[in-house]
Amino acid sequence: MTLQLTKKHSFDMVFDSQKVFRLILEVMSNPTRIANIMEYADRLSGSNPLFLAIAMTLLDNEASVDTCGDHVLSGEIVSLALARIETVDTADFIFISDESGIKDVIENAKCGTLADPQKSATVVMQYQNDNRPGSAITLAGPGIDGQAVLLAPQVAIDAIKLRDAQNYEYPQGIDLLFISGNGDLFAIPRMVKVVE
Amino acid sequence: MNSNYNYAFLDEGSKREIRRSILKAVAIPGYQVPFGSRELPIGRGWGTGGIQLTLSLIGPSDTLKVIDQGSDESVNAVNIKKFVCLCTDVKTTIDTRDATLIQTRHRIPEIPLDNGQILVFQVPIPEPLRIVEAREEATKKMHAEKDYAPMWLQLYESLVKYKKVTIPSEYPCMVEGRYVMNPSPIPKFDNPKLHKAECLYLFGAGREKKIYAIPPHTEVLPLAFDDVPFERESFLGKKCRQCGSENTYLDEIFDAQTGEKFYQCSDTSYCLEARSHVSK
Repeated sequence: MTLQLTKKHSFDMVFDSQKVFRLILEVMSNPTRIANIMEYADRLSGSNPLFLAIAMTLLDNEASVDTCGDHVLSGEIVSLALARIETVDTADFIFISDESGIKDVIENAKCGTLADPQKSATVVMQYQNDNRPGSAITLAGPGIDGQAVLLAPQVAIDAIKLRDAQNYEYPQGIDLLFISGNGDLFAIPRMVKVVE
Repeated sequence: MNSNYNYAFLDEGSKREIRRSILKAVAIPGYQVPFGSRELPIGRGWGTGGIQLTLSLIGPSDTLKVIDQGSDESVNAVNIKKFVCLCTDVKTTIDTRDATLIQTRHRIPEIPLDNGQILVFQVPIPEPLRIVEAREEATKKMHAEKDYAPMWLQLYESLVKYKKVTIPSEYPCMVEGRYVMNPSPIPKFDNPKLHKAECLYLFGAGREKKIYAIPPHTEVLPLAFDDVPFERESFLGKKCRQCGSENTYLDEIFDAQTGEKFYQCSDTSYCLEARSHVSK
């Protein structure tokens, strides 16, 4: 399996990962902005090229990951990015595409400590492009000029509200990255909150 | 481009670690994220933190500008630019507006940066509390507990002794009401440019192994008392001898033979542009 994947993908570990990183940085710095990484994910084969593109950009053997039971994806990330597989409560990155598991992930992901808030998880959630109507929420925080309205699928909005409901004492918290099935990426870092 | 090295010099594993730290720094504005600072063919203290950030960010579509104390032509800026070009072949510029990535030592350009630009600072001492507490373990705890009383006391003592806050540069600021941050040794003149800016600011300290960030539209306020507001340097009555600008940060130049003092823009790119407008 590993050998087959290594032969098939044409993702450039130097240049494509640099471009994907800049897009991730752009959406993290400007929450509610959407960037598309499909062009680069298309150069990867495997069970979930979008997750793999992010993994190839950010992960190495010093980072740990949980894929919420997706053993095929785990194997691919281990093979390609050399990341360590850990459980949801200890992983640095959590990749989840099963919407029903998001509650468990957000409630158990590590949120860092007051002294070391960087030792917290980044949750990367994939949602499907179906025709379910989205909703609008108003968000505020660093990276947003005043307030901004985000039109997103309900599953993403529920995840953001669920995270806010954890009432982490800042700077503790978890950072959320959302990616649609067609590669649209947006981020909601821990300081960005829903304005009721 | 020197093909004996990886693109942008650093190996991909190092870039990934630095990139992860950058994302955490953006998510927690003002917090110093520790990272494994790499060896570079340049001594620590010569901008290695900024260089590592630049090398982890840069790609073929970037246009790079490097400044040192506002100047595109100083030794530090020229050599960093040469080094980055040697291992990337990126386009360089001295025009602030054309650059997508700007590495700087001790200044923020006079021309406001836009949302697509990233300003990378070289930081010698990232810890703002170092002047009141020598132990890293203690300053880390102070940040965790938001215990900034010794810092306020330092400012108060300065007021009592000298009737004003005497910190000349790297004036501490409060980021989003949570972290006291050292904005690197920029003059106080540049502090307001950090507040609610359009661009992304990234700070790299290679020797101290820390990365921190200010995302766009982030509240960054200099520490000040209600009845003693923050004051930046005043150049009232002075202007640049070359372009005539009266609203820029000016360098004072002393002629030892005549005893005369001159003032000119510290931001050489801005000064050049201003002069070209004057000549037209």
